[in-house]
Parts: sequence; C-alpha cells; structure tokens
Amino acid sequence: MSRYAELQATSNFSFLRGASHPHELVEQAKALGHRAIAITDVNTLAGIVRGHIAARELGMRFVVGCRLEVEAPGSVVAFEATNESPEKFAAGPMRGVLCYPTSRAAYGRLTRMLTRGKQRAEKAKCKLFYDDLLAFGDGQIFVALPPAEIDGDFADFLRRLAADFPGHVYLALQHLYRGDDARLLHRLDELARETGVPTVATNDVLYHTAARRRLQDVLSCIREGCTLAEAGYRLNAHAERHLKSPGEMARLFRGYEDALARSVEIAERCRFSLDELRYDYPDESGGHGGTPQARLESLTWNGAAWRYPDGVPEHVTRHIDMELRLIEKLGYAPYFLTVNSIMKEAKRREILCQGRGSAANSVVCYCLGITAVSPEMIDVLFERFINEERREPPDIDVDFEHERREEIIQFIYEKYGRDRAALTATVIHYRPRRAIREVGKVLGLSEDVTAALAGTVWGWYGDAIERKHVRDLGLDPADPTLALALELATEMVGFPRHLSQHVGGFVITNGLLEEIVPIEKAAMKDRTVIEWDKDDIDALRMLKIDILALGMLTAIRRGFDLIAAHYGKRYTLATVPKEDPAVYEMLQHADSIGVFQVESRAQMSMLPRLKPREFYDLVIEVAIVRPGPIQGGMVHPYLRRRNGEEPVTLPAGKDELKEVLGKTLGVPLFQEQAMKMAMVAARFTGAEANGLRQAMATFRNNGTMPKYKDKFIQGMIANGYEADFAQRCFRQIEGFGEYGFPESHAASFALLVYASAWIKRFYPDVFTAALLNSQPMGFYAPAQLVRDAREHGVEMRPVDINFSAWDSTLEIEQREISSGGDAGAGGEVGGIKEVGRRALRLGFNQVKGLAQEAMDRLVRQRGAGYRSIDDVTRRSGLDRKSLERLAEADAFRSLGLDRRQALWAMKGVEVAPPEMFAARPEPTPDMPAPLPEMKLGQHIVEDYHWTGLSLKAHPLSFLRSGLARRGIVPARELRGRRDGERLTVAGIVLVRQRPGKGNVVFVTLEDETGIANLVVWIPVFERFRRIVMGARMIACTGKLQIQGEVIHVVAETMRDMTPALRRIGGEDGPAQGQLELAIHSHDFH
Amino acid sequence: MDRRGASGCGSSAHKPAVLAVSVGGRRILSAVNPAAEALGLLPGLTLADARARVPGLDVANADPEGDAAALLRLAQWCGRYSPWTVPHGADSVLLDITGCAHLAGGEDRLGAALFERLARRGIGARLGIADTIGGACAIARGGGHAVNIVAPGATRDALAALPVRALRLGGEMAAALERLGLRHIGDLYRLPRAALAQRFDAALMTRLDEALGEEREALSPLPPAPPRWTRRQFAEPIAARDSIEAAIRVLLESLCRSLGEEGLGARLLVLTLHRVDGESASLAVGTARPNRDAAHLMRLFAERIERIDPGLGIEDMMLAARRAEPLGARQLALPRAGQDGVTADDAAMLIDRLANRLGARSVGRLVPRAAHLPERAQHFVFAFATGGDAFRADQPRPVRLLPFPEPIEAIAPVPDDPPLNFRWRRRLHRVARAEGPERILGEWWRGEREAELLRDYYRVEDEDGRRYWLFRAGLYRPDAAARWFLHGLCA
Repeated sequence: MSRYAELQATSNFSFLRGASHPHELVEQAKALGHRAIAITDVNTLAGIVRGHIAARELGMRFVVGCRLEVEAPGSVVAFEATNESPEKFAAGPMRGVLCYPTSRAAYGRLTRMLTRGKQRAEKAKCKLFYDDLLAFGDGQIFVALPPAEIDGDFADFLRRLAADFPGHVYLALQHLYRGDDARLLHRLDELARETGVPTVATNDVLYHTAARRRLQDVLSCIREGCTLAEAGYRLNAHAERHLKSPGEMARLFRGYEDALARSVEIAERCRFSLDELRYDYPDESGGHGGTPQARLESLTWNGAAWRYPDGVPEHVTRHIDMELRLIEKLGYAPYFLTVNSIMKEAKRREILCQGRGSAANSVVCYCLGITAVSPEMIDVLFERFINEERREPPDIDVDFEHERREEIIQFIYEKYGRDRAALTATVIHYRPRRAIREVGKVLGLSEDVTAALAGTVWGWYGDAIERKHVRDLGLDPADPTLALALELATEMVGFPRHLSQHVGGFVITNGLLEEIVPIEKAAMKDRTVIEWDKDDIDALRMLKIDILALGMLTAIRRGFDLIAAHYGKRYTLATVPKEDPAVYEMLQHADSIGVFQVESRAQMSMLPRLKPREFYDLVIEVAIVRPGPIQGGMVHPYLRRRNGEEPVTLPAGKDELKEVLGKTLGVPLFQEQAMKMAMVAARFTGAEANGLRQAMATFRNNGTMPKYKDKFIQGMIANGYEADFAQRCFRQIEGFGEYGFPESHAASFALLVYASAWIKRFYPDVFTAALLNSQPMGFYAPAQLVRDAREHGVEMRPVDINFSAWDSTLEIEQREISSGGDAGAGGEVGGIKEVGRRALRLGFNQVKGLAQEAMDRLVRQRGAGYRSIDDVTRRSGLDRKSLERLAEADAFRSLGLDRRQALWAMKGVEVAPPEMFAARPEPTPDMPAPLPEMKLGQHIVEDYHWTGLSLKAHPLSFLRSGLARRGIVPARELRGRRDGERLTVAGIVLVRQRPGKGNVVFVTLEDETGIANLVVWIPVFERFRRIVMGARMIACTGKLQIQGEVIHVVAETMRDMTPALRRIGGEDGPAQGQLELAIHSHDFH
Repeated sequence: MDRRGASGCGSSAHKPAVLAVSVGGRRILSAVNPAAEALGLLPGLTLADARARVPGLDVANADPEGDAAALLRLAQWCGRYSPWTVPHGADSVLLDITGCAHLAGGEDRLGAALFERLARRGIGARLGIADTIGGACAIARGGGHAVNIVAPGATRDALAALPVRALRLGGEMAAALERLGLRHIGDLYRLPRAALAQRFDAALMTRLDEALGEEREALSPLPPAPPRWTRRQFAEPIAARDSIEAAIRVLLESLCRSLGEEGLGARLLVLTLHRVDGESASLAVGTARPNRDAAHLMRLFAERIERIDPGLGIEDMMLAARRAEPLGARQLALPRAGQDGVTADDAAMLIDRLANRLGARSVGRLVPRAAHLPERAQHFVFAFATGGDAFRADQPRPVRLLPFPEPIEAIAPVPDDPPLNFRWRRRLHRVARAEGPERILGEWWRGEREAELLRDYYRVEDEDGRRYWLFRAGLYRPDAAARWFLHGLCA
C-alpha cells in the first residue's frame, strides 16, 4: 500500500475555484486512505478551521497551509526604492507557492504575511511580494508550483527560493493528463536535480470527487462571466482534478516514488495544529494589580450589594459562589472583565445598552450590570451559558443604541488596538435564488427563465426551488437543461460566496491577533475583519463579544430624555415603575403599535389571547410567537391551559418534568426547557443537550441530527413517556435550532417590551416622538405611528419652518406667527397656552431629501421666527433646492402660504449666498399670482410624497362615498359585525407578511377609520398573486372571523383598487408626471 | 410616432409586452404596450417587479439607437410629402408642408393620406397641423385625434386647453408647472409674463412664443442624404446592358469616393432600380472584408447584371452601402510589388467573387473555436461572416484531422498506457514512440451522451516514422474491449 498525502487541495473558500467544501475534501481523503491532507486555498486561511474540525472528528492528520500567489522578484525593489505605488511598475510574474508552517511561530508569521498582503490590497484581495516570503518565511515549508510554461525564469525563481530557504523548498510534480505529462515530469525532475530542490507529488485538487467537475466548470464560468458554451479553454478538459487514491497516485508517478513519499515527509514535518492556538484573554488588570479572578469577584460582590440593597438572598449568594468557582476553574474571568469594561464605557457615555442571550443565564452577569434579568424572573440555567464539559467560551451579546454603536466599536479598537481587536467574518453563502440565477446564466438559459425561476423562491418562498413552481411557470422541469440547472444550483446552495463582516462580533486578544488569524480590511471604513466566522471562532474556543445595534434602545433613550425635558422626571431602564397594571391592560387589548417585539400582526393577535398580566407573561409572549413553539404545536395547548379550557397535566407520574415545565403549564416553550427535558426525560448529559442544540445551527450539520433524534425519542420512551409526546417535544427542538429563542433571551427582550409599553401607555406623545426620531425601525411606517398617536389623543402638528427642528419635538404652548406683518417684539410670538399633554411637532427629518446640517442652520437663524419667504431666503442661508423641498413639504403654513403659493413665491425670490445680502436691494413685494387652488386631495398626495404621511386627512376619506356605494365596510365597523359574515373591506396596503414557510399571507389594510387584517390562504394568494404583491390599494371580500378581540377577514376574492388612488389628486386624475399617492408597504418574510 | 410602440415586440397587442433598459445594474421598463399598462405596469418599474406581478410577461430590450435610426428613415420616407422633413426629439418627425398641401388636395387630405400610409406600414401615429412648429407639436400630442388640424390664426385658442407638457418642455419643468397647478397652456396665458419669466428657465417662454408664433422657429431640414447612398435618374429610361453597367460604374465610383471620405468600406451593397412601369427590383452584393475598390465591386456586379430585368426601361437607380465598416485610407490602384505573394486582400477578393457568383452560402472557410473536443475546435462559416478565435498553440494538434475518427485495433497496456501497435486500414503499425494520454471529456452540458464521452489521445510514431493521433474511447474496463480510433495525421 502506497503512502501518500494530498498537500494541494483547493476548497470552495477559494471562491469560484474550488468545488468542494473543506469537510468533503477531508472526509474523502480519509476514505481514500491518505496519510494527511492540506487545504491550500489561494491567499487565505478562511477554510482551514472547517477542515481542521472535520479532520479532528475523523482522527485524520490535517496540515495547515495555503497557496500564496506571490509577485516574483523584480518589481519590489523599484517599489520600495521610490516608495510609489507598485502598479506603476511592470509586475514580475506571479508565482504560486504552497506554504506550510512547521510550528506555531511559523504559523503566526504566515498569518501576519497574509494580513500584510490583504492590507495593501483592495478588499477581498491580497497582494504579496517575494520580500514578504523573506520577511515571514522562517519555519515555513514551501512547495513551488510549476507554471504552464517551464522556462529559465522559473528555474531562476526556484534557485533563488532554494537559496533563501535551504532545506525548506520543494518542487511540485503534477500528472494532469495533458498528454505531455511524462515529458513534463521528466523536465521538472531534471530541474529539481539541477537546483538541488527535492520534488513532491501533488494532484492540484479542485474537488473531492470527479462528479463535482460539472460544478467546477460552472464556477469557472461564473468567475469568467461567460456561459459554458463560450467558456472554451477556460474550462478544464477533463475531470481529473479530484482526490485520488494513494494507489492511483503511485501508478501515475511511476518512477517518481521519492516524490510521492515526500508528500508524507512534508506532512510529518508540518506538525503544527490549530489546536495549539492558545487564546489569551486581554489583560484587564487596568493597573489595579491582583488576579482577574480576584477583581471579578470583588466587582461581582459589589454588584450584588447594589442589586440587592436589602441584603443578598441566600440562594443568590449560593449561585454566585457556584458561578465564580466555575469561572475560576475555566479561567474565564478576564472575559467578564472585558465585557464589563466595555459596558462601563457605554454607560459613561450615556449610551443605553443591555446584555441579552445566554448571558442572562448568569447571576454574575446580572450583578455586573451586563444583563438586567434577575434570577428571580427566570430559571437561571447556567449550563446554557457556561458548560464545563463543553469547554466552549461563553457568548455575551450586548445591544447598544443603534445610532451610537459605532462609538463603542471605535472605542474597542482604540482601547485594545487594531492589532488585538477585530470583527469576525460572516460567510455569505449561495442561496437558492442567487444560485439558480447564476447557474442558469452559465447554462445559457435566458434571463427570463432564470429570473422566473429565481422569482419562485422570491422572498416569501422558502429555501428550495420546488418542481411544482417550475411547472407553474409554464416550464418543464424535465427539460434537460432546466433539470441540470436545478440540480447544479441545488448543489451550489451553501457554497461560500464571499466573506462579509459580522454584524458586531468582536474578537479581542491579549497577544497580536494577526498572529492567530489573517485580518483584512472591511468594506466599511475604519473596520477590520478576521478571516474566520463565528463558528470557526467557537470551534477554536476563542472569545467573542457581540456588539449589536438595537433601534429600540435608541428610541427608549430618547423617550427617557424627552420625559426628563418635558415632564421633569428622569427614568432609566432600571427605574421604570414595575408591573403597572395599566401597561398590561393596554397590551391585553393589542394596543401595541410601536412597542418592542409585540407589534407584529402575529403578536397583536396573540396578545388578547394570552392576556399578559405580569412580567413573566411578556417573556412567554415574546417567545411563543416563534417558529419553534408554532412548529412544535405548543401554542394552542398553552393558550387552552392558560385560559383554563384544559387541565394542566404532565405525563402521568412524571414529577421530574414539573420542575422543568411547571411555569409554562406543562408545555415546553423555551430552548432551556427543551434542553432540560433532554437531560431529565431523555437522560442526556449537559454537553449532549447542548450538542443537540448546536447540531441544528452550525456548519457541522453533517448528519448528526438523526442521531440525537433517536436518542431523544428512545430515551423518553425508555423513561415511560408516550411516543407522541416525545415526537412533539423533538419537533419543537428542531424549530428552536433554526430560530432559537431561549428564555433568558426572551426575558432580556421582555424588559424592553415592558419599558417601551410603559412609555407608550403614560407618555404617548413622547413615545411617538422617540420612535419617529429613531427611524427606520420596527414594523410600522411613520404614517401609522402618527395615526396611532392621534388615536391616543396626541395632537400632531405639521412640519413648519417656524416651529420644527430636525427631530420631531414636543411643544408646550400654542404658538402662532402671523405672516407678513410684525410678529410682536423679541421672542414673544403669539399667546402661550399650556396644554395637558404636549403636542408633537413633526421634524424636518420626516421630509424627504433634506440635510440635517442645513436644517440645523435654518433653526439657528430662526430667532423670533421668519416673517416672509424673503426673510427665510435671506436669513436661513438655505440653497434653492432645500427651500423648494420645504415648500413642497408644505412647511410655510405659518406664513400663510400653502405649498403651491410658497413654491411660486420661492421661485420668484433670488437665492444668494449670505455674504451677498448686504449689497442686495430690498425685494419688491410679489404680486399674488392667479394660481389655481390646490385641492385638498392633491395636498394629501403631495404630503404623502414628501413626508410619507399627511395630517390633513386620510386618502381614503376622499373615496369613501364611492366605496360606500359599493357596499364596502369601513374598518372601524368590523367590530360590530357578526362572526362569519361575508363582507368587503378596502384600504391601502400597509404590511404584507408571509411568516416562515407558512401557507398563509397576512395583509394589513388601512382606511380612514382604522385597520383591517386580512388572512390570505395560499390558494387565494396564488389566484390574486399580482394584486397581493403589486397593488397599493386593495378591496377584499371575505368572511369575517372574530375571536374575542382578534378580528380577521379571511380573503376570498381581491380587487386591485390602485387606480382609485389616482383619483384622489383631482377629479380628472393627475396629469402626466404629477405625483401619485406614494405609499410604501413594509414587506416581511 | 412610435417606431414600434411597445406592441411591436412581435406578439399580439393583447398580450402584455414591455421594453426594458439596463440602468445601473437594474433592469427598468422603458416602454409598455396598452395590455401591459392595463395591468399596472408603467415605465420606470423594475423588470423584476413587473415579472413578479405578471408572470410570462413579454420582454424585449429597448434599442434607443435603433429607434433613432428608424426615425431618421421615417423622416426620409416622409420626403414624398414635403422636401423639408426632419426627425424631432425621440419620437416625432416634422414636415414643413407650406406650399405642399395643395399637391395632396389640402391639409386634411394630406393628413389623412399620411396617416393611412403610416398605418399600413404598421406605424401608429398622431398628426398635428398648425401655423407653427410648436403649435403642431402641441396639437399632435395633446389634440386627442389621429389627425389634428388647427385653422390658420386659431393657434392660441386651440392650444389653451392642451396640457403644458405638449409644449415640448423638459419633464422637470413640466412637472414644476403642474405642481403649481399650471396644467394647461391656457393657465400660462393668465399669468404675468414677467412673473413667469422670473421663475422659469427661458426655455418656457421660448417654447410658448414659438407655439403661438410670437417667435420664429425655423425648421432645419434633414441634411443632404447620407453619403452612403447615391442615386441617378435618367432622362431617357435605359434598358441595354451596357448602359446599365455604365450607370452602375458611375454610382459605384461616387459611392466609393464618399465612403473613402468617411474612412469606410462596404460590406453589403444594394442596388435598387425603379422601372418605368412602377415596379422596382434590387440586387445585393456582399464582401468578405470592407472594400471600396470600385473596380473590384464592379466585377461583382458585372457578374450578375443579367439577372436584372429592365422591363420597359429603368428610370431611376439607387446604390446604397447597407453595411459599411471602418477601412483605413490606403492606396488602392498601385500595382503590388511582388505579384507572387498572396495577401489577405487577394484571398478576400477571391472569396468575394466566388461568393457573389456561387452565392454567399456556397462559399465558406474554417475558423478556430475554443473547444477541447478536436472536431469542435474549428467551425465552418459562410463567406461573409467575420470572427473566430485564435487557433490554439499550446497543445499539439495533428495537421490533418480526419472528418470522422476511424476505428482501429490497438494493443495497449491497461489502464491508460500508449498503444504498442495498432491496425489502421488493414495495415499494422508498430509504435516506436508515443506520448499521452491527453484526456478530453465531452461537453457535459450538451446532454447525457456527451456527459459520458471520454477520450484518451495519444501521439504515436510508428517504426516508419509516420505520426498519428489516436484515441481510446472511454476508460479502461476489464469487462469490455477497449475501443480505439485514429483521429488525425501528424506532421
């Protein structure tokens, strides 16, 4: 049996080159009996962790390495001598060199070399020079790759490489079925003898089995931007670039047995393993001395005293002790200190932040103020957070105000240094739509067909391109080309396409990060990203902190500020009055527009059924409207039990489950419960339970799930549970896998649900202003937020040059500025009248296309108010475009001008830079122009166009008489109708939503009286697809369904009423080019 | 006038059809037919959205340059009604019919006839006749009838009710006016001139004045007919071969001169003859490379003159270069130094003569194509086609490839060593030297048979020093005899 190790395998992390996943290469190499395998992607180490993990699981030797593309000597000298951009000089030939570090230190040099190369190139590129090899080549083994043409230049290169790295250079021999292979091998062998460089056999592998050749061809075409038919010699002539058995390699390399043997020799020399990467926590001593553990303990106990001013309860003390002991044992103390110091900084800058996720399972985190969920609120499952057996580092996610997160990110870079902190990568994979589009194009399908195919997985549809949909398009799925396209696209789904930056996952190290992993520039300025993603980091047990952005935190902070400014009370997340019944009362009526997490259609129909009465109900509310519980069929049983319609029973005699499921009435709703059930009822170990959870979500999803499933169900049955119950439990866990929502996470979110609901309940004016100023966020557009505010009695005032600021503001007094004449002396304009609740003045930020800087100037220069158009143009220093924009937004009403008159006047005024005012003559007053008056309907249309909403009237109020004639029922009247009645509603489309892979589409319509919720089952949707997806106004006939406070119209037929909207602007419809009612729906998938 | 509207996509007007343009990576609808418009598909929508709403939508690529060229041709065609015609904007043609209308029996009959003729050519059009260019444009756009005629002196009143857009204003200005509620041209009459002039670009007043005849607007008629065609009318109809030949020669010389000025050479020439009896005939001649050598082109015509049926006589002859391509200035008539050397030009001229005599589809040549399978690595093109990749140099190929691989018997060590000997056309060849295999697979995307195709090619030299290109079809299988073929002869 021959001994061989493949040292040159390109994985699909060499984007659009390799056609196999790293684990596929490793598995195949193992199956073929290779001694070891190296994955050598081009200028990157992005795929090696996956390869390493796969090899570790199989007990296979994995050689770390990569293929460097190096610019050969020549141009570098010129570059460094003149210090000019290297592009100006003739580039030397590019040489391919395989590089394998022999030690941890050499590995660090390799990652530094790649970092260097990436930082001097544009994003996702790497530029390496021969000098880099000299600088970082110590301890590496190099294998020179022969070019297509073996000439004197290459011989020189090889000689030079051999001289610079004596004993560390090899020459690759390849047998690639070119026809002249024997001659080539002979020449290379001679060259090797001549230069004293030993040879080594490789197969320059691009895919693990020959079957992947087709996909590799497709990838090549995508890379080259051509079709298969056009590709010609850009494709390989054959399918020989797969992993071959040692026996086959021996046959091909007859007479070169030494070259074959050297593959194993190199693998032996390169003993470095990724397991040697020892992660060092950043030094958080901060000059205080003492061990991190000691510092953490003192901080924790101080925190505990702050959290429990009346004395720390005994069970909490016990818990803290337990956690601290485990943290000490595993050496995680510095991690907590790091998170703590980041959050301390955020608090110092008054940036609202809150930890979430599994960290909420830790009392230590609670005491440090990292999370706000007290152990009294939920069952703390520390194992979910830190698990001794699992030995994976804890994962703390922190949300920050979305507008200020960048400050924190830059703070981290500053504090720890760019060489010690970087964002993790996110691997962007091919998804079905993209895959079918690109594969189809390569196969020569017309754009129409690929677009149509891609369209079938358009947004709302799930993952795969189903045959049925193909048939629906009028295409024949059996058509060979089409079938090929579908097959190859399916194969390509999941292939990495490029690396992007993770939304906020930070890796921070004590030593140089670039000695652990290559770092590259991110697309965003001032950011750096490592080559590995979250799963890679986890697998190597490196620490990661998620610095996330949450719009609601911004809104809540703004809310607290506004309350302090206008009502003189200063609240924080911690001091919001707890458990106020009025807040729950409001939520029970699904009065939740704008409230965090519970404002969606599904949540709003759940609220009146669940009727939250206390904080824990909110935790459930947040978690229950999720794919996990829904797919697991847990929702209805829970609701029935909660409403007393079904007895709370646990499987007979199973008291063990009472502890786990007691507080959710025997129905598992949370991920922790599922894990505990696995442990208690199916006798999983803690690590197994966690492995089960992970098996779903991670890239190592290579068939471990069925194993867990059997174990789980058999385990439960063995413990006396019914098979049906066990099945259901497992189905739910499967749901969690994809959309995990643990109790701890739900509890962190529930805190924000309560806080935002509390503001809404007691300060609706503040609430709306804060939300409007934090856009875009949440489920609803400003128009709906404003409408909701008005329904809660908030007086809304339009954008106006004399009253608005950039943000929406609250106004105490009634103010008026008369146009033209003297507006009183000094700042005294109009009368001042205190009203009970503040009125909300829309800000300039609602107007399309205005710049904050310009508007801030307008406000600064306003003084006692602008008195005329001319006054505005003279003093505000705004350019004509902004002024006209303000006129279009109807912001000159305080001057007695509507938008049309303002626009006319504006066009007549000369706008000049401020310094020229002195020299300018006083303007002559403009004669009023005989402009046709703008109809109210047209004003509404314009309001919507420029500000996205109108305070004047609802568009549908103009159509009501016509709608009434057709017997269309206003939304408000639905409540008084009979359940099951057939009726027709009409409205503008606010939201379209197709949850998950569900068989239903939710559409929300709005008319001038309120909102109508449509339920569109898929058969109806398919019939009226064009209307549902394209119409801006819909009339829908269907059956009314009333369940308590939840009212739906189950759609039967639909009509596109969009043309009616055109009538709103005027009797004869808008002239060509005139604005039409611009309403944008929010679509969710 | 729409060249083809959006309805000319080749399908019926009842089926929704759209034209699309690429704008910054997105495909946007640029024109839609009535059926598409009725479904709410409007220009400006993205193609993806349109498709999502109307599956099976008919989509064609917009071709603004083609449209412009077609409009120019249409303007030329309109020459039958007036000597002064010119394309105007993207979709109109102006005709100055001053003094011409009576020839057609008055303005209304001229309008009706023109409309009718256009309709017969499948061109939907709206016509406007007025005192001024602006007035005619406005009434054509806003008049609401197929043919709109404004009586002399009535322009001001006739325009009052038309939308301002009809004034040939930029979209932005029209939108600005509409936003102020100034939707009809009449609305502008009521406003003080100074106030309008202060607020709007000078173009507004200019357009208004032009329409109302307060400012003169001259029509710049089409420039003299493009130099790529030339025409000759005969005082006496001609019918004799010699006269025809002489006439063609004169036309060719004139055409070649003007082509030379533009640095062009003809690829396709069309000669159109109008006969006394009203019939017309045409004759086309193609060339393999751009050419403006009148003598050469004359030879091509001369060979086909007998195909012309002059009937009772030809009164008018037109020669047009339908396709012309850049051709650098060069001396054409000087005798070449070494007459023995055959240049590419000579080959091209030979191809021209053969192809024009035998028919363009009867003469062809081989051009290389990038393909791994040897039989696909070149292909046959007709005489006048261009293109072809470069022949590949990095892989040795036989000088002569057999039209079809010929089966041979061969003995070779398994699995893929070169053969030791083979029998071709009954003769046994002992292999002295060999190289290979070079493995070539079929183009799998062409179907299952191709996907299974595998050949191992060997270059072999027999004991007599003759070299061959052989292949074994398929991988070695212990259970089946290897199938060998000879595919080429090497130098």
